[in-house]
Amino acid sequence: MIDDDRKQRLLAAMAEAGIDMLLVYGNAWQGDYLRYATDFSALEGQALALVRGDGHVTLYLDSPLEVDRAEIDCPDIEVLHAPNLIAEVDGALDRFRNQRIGSAPGRLIPRRLAARAKDLNLSDQTAFLDRLLMHKLDSEIAAMRCAAKLADDGYAVFRQAARVGRADYELIAEIEAFFRAHGVDHNFQIIGVGGPEVRGMAPPSGKRLKRGDMVTTELTPRVDGYYAQICRTLVVGEPNGEQRKAHALWLESMEAGIAVVRDGVTAADIARAENDVFRAHGLGEYTTSEYTRVRGHGLGLFVDTKPHILEDVNTRIDAGMTLIVHPNTYHPVVGYMVLGDSLVVMRDGCEVVTATPRELFSVPV
Amino acid sequence: MRRGLMGWDEAELPRSALSARLERLQAAMAREGFDALLLYTNLVRPAAVCWLTGFTPYWIESLLLVPASGAPMLATALSKRVADWIRTTAWLDEIVNTPKPGTAIGQRLAGCKRVGVLELDALPAGLYDDMVAVAPKIELADASAMFAAVRSHVDDAELKLIEKADALAVAALAQVDASATDAGSLAGLVEKHARLAGAEEAYIAIALDLDLDRRLIQVSGPVPLARRFAVRASIAYKGAWVRRTRSFARDPQGARAMASAEAWLPQAMHALRELLPSRGYSTVAASFALLRAELHSQMRGWMAESCVGSYPLEVIASLPMHGKEGPAPGTFLVLSVELAIDDVPWLGAAPVFLRG
Repeated sequence: MIDDDRKQRLLAAMAEAGIDMLLVYGNAWQGDYLRYATDFSALEGQALALVRGDGHVTLYLDSPLEVDRAEIDCPDIEVLHAPNLIAEVDGALDRFRNQRIGSAPGRLIPRRLAARAKDLNLSDQTAFLDRLLMHKLDSEIAAMRCAAKLADDGYAVFRQAARVGRADYELIAEIEAFFRAHGVDHNFQIIGVGGPEVRGMAPPSGKRLKRGDMVTTELTPRVDGYYAQICRTLVVGEPNGEQRKAHALWLESMEAGIAVVRDGVTAADIARAENDVFRAHGLGEYTTSEYTRVRGHGLGLFVDTKPHILEDVNTRIDAGMTLIVHPNTYHPVVGYMVLGDSLVVMRDGCEVVTATPRELFSVPV
Repeated sequence: MRRGLMGWDEAELPRSALSARLERLQAAMAREGFDALLLYTNLVRPAAVCWLTGFTPYWIESLLLVPASGAPMLATALSKRVADWIRTTAWLDEIVNTPKPGTAIGQRLAGCKRVGVLELDALPAGLYDDMVAVAPKIELADASAMFAAVRSHVDDAELKLIEKADALAVAALAQVDASATDAGSLAGLVEKHARLAGAEEAYIAIALDLDLDRRLIQVSGPVPLARRFAVRASIAYKGAWVRRTRSFARDPQGARAMASAEAWLPQAMHALRELLPSRGYSTVAASFALLRAELHSQMRGWMAESCVGSYPLEVIASLPMHGKEGPAPGTFLVLSVELAIDDVPWLGAAPVFLRG
C-alpha cells in the first residue's frame, strides 16, 4: 500500500527531524502535502490535518460532503467535520502547546493559524515535506507508471475526438468520460487551438476546430493520487512545412533535455540542454518567460511539483524523482507548440514512461 | 482544475449587471468605513471574485482589490501570457501578473487606513505576509458578513446562469439508466454529457448501494452498482453552481417509491420558495409531510447550501443544526433531502429560488 509506505517514511523523517506534529493544509488546487500525510485528496472546501509523531492522523474538513468521502476513502484516520475549520483547528492546536509543530505548505496555511507561530512553536516545514514529495518510493513510481499508461490511452481518445467542427471543450468531455471509466479520478488539462495567434494553452474557450489548426494539449491523469503528463500537438489536416520544421526542433530540444537527465545533474542542466537547441536555431528568445513558463517540472502528488526545469533552478536531480521534460513555447510562424514526456530519473539516465510516438499528429479532415 | 468551457458572454453576464453589483458593494463598504475590500480567489474559493467580475482561476491564486470607488484590480500569480485569456473570461480592466500578488496589492493599498477582507482568517499566510510587509500600518477587518448581505440577493443575470447550470445537471442525470451496473462508466457518462453541453465543471458522486450506505463518493474505474443507488451532479456553468441528486432502483418496490418522491420534489421545492423566508427552516420537514402521509415515509435529514462568500456552495443550515430564522427573500439555495419511503432510502437535491 502506497499510503502505508508513505506514512512510515513520514513518521521516520519526523522523528529524525525532531518534529512532534505536522499541521498540513490542502485543497483541490494544492493537495499534495495533504495527500502525502493523510491519503485524502480534497475536492471541495478546505482541509487541515494534524499528524502526530505516534502516527495518529486527524483530518478536519469544512464540507460535510467531503467528510462522507474521506470516511470511506481513508478509514484508518480520524475524520472530523469542522464547519468552522480554522477556529476548530486553532482550538485543537492549543492542546499541543508544548510540542514542536511543523506546518506545510507554509504559504497556504491560513493566516489566523500562521499568526500563532511563536505562541504554538509552529515552524514552516515546507522544505522538509518537499524532499519527501520529490524523492519517490517504488510504490509511488508504480502508481505514476499507471498514470502514464492512461495518459497515453487518453491522448489516443483525444486524437479520435479531434475533428473539424468540434469545440475544444467537447474533446475534453470525451477524455473525462474515458478517464472516469478507467480509474482516473482527476485530470489536469489545458488546450490551445489555432495558429500563430495562439500564445499558450488555457481551459477550453469554445473554439471549433478547422482545417490547418494546431491543437496542443497537456494531459495529466491522476491514478492513486499520482499525476503523469503528456504533451502533444496535432494538426487538423496535413501539417504544412513550417509546422513540421518547428516540430522537428521541439523534438530535438526535448530529446536533448531527456538525454542529460540522470542522478546528480541539476534542473538547470536539463533546461539548458533544451534551450541550447532553440538558441542554435536562432530562437533563443522563445525560451524566455515572455513566451514560456517552464521547460518541464516535477510530477507526483501535484501536477506541477518541484523542481521547475529552468536555467536558474539549481536543484539537484536525484534517482527516484519523476519529471516531465517539455520544451513548450511559442513559435513565431506556427504559434504555440508542445511536446513532452514523463520520466523516472535513474542512476545512469532515465526511463521515459509515456509511450505515445513523438510525432506531430494529424487528423483527417 | 477547471477544464470545461470558460468564457465571458456579455449577453449572459452584462456589464450593467456587474456594475450594479460593484455599486452595491461599494455602497456597503462606505457604510462600514472601508477604504478598500480584498477578495481572495482560487480554484476552490472562486465565488466572490466571480460574482463581481466573472473571473474564475483555473489554476493558482489571485487577489482582487475593490477600491472605495472605481474599478477593481486583480493581482494574480497566473503568468503575463495568461492575461489575455483572463480578459476573455471576465470584466477586468486592470490585471497585474506577478509571482507575489500580496506585494502588488500591499503597494496599491498605500494611503488606505481600514481595509475589509472577505474571510480574513482564511487568507493564505504567504499572501498576507507579502501584503503587510509593504503595508504594515493598514487595519484589516473581516468583511464576510457585509459581503454576504450584499451578495445574497440573486439578480436576473445570476438567476439565468444558475438556471442554465441546473438545466445541464438535469439533462446529465437524465442519462442515468437504473439498469446501470458500473459506477465508473456511469460517472463518466454523466460528466461527459454535462461537459458536452458546456459545463465549466462537473463533479459526479455516487452512493453505490443505498440500502447499505447513503454516502455519495467520487468514483472512477469499474465499481459495481447495487439495485438501489443515487447520483449527484454538482455542475458549474460560467461560475454558477448547482447540485442535483437523483435516486434509482432496479427493483419494483424501490422504483415505485423513488418515482413518487421524485414527482413530489418539485412540489415541495415550489412550496418552500415562499415558506422558507417567512416561516423558517422548520418548514422543510413540513413540505415533505404530505408525501410522508401518502407513502409512510420518514425524513432522515436535509441540508441547505447557498453561496455567501468565496465557496460556490456551502452549508448554511441542516437538520438538526438550523436556527429559527429562515434565509432572506431573494436568496438561492440548493436543498438536499434524505428520506426513507416505505423503508426505501431516497436521496434528492434541487435548487430553490426564494421569492424576493
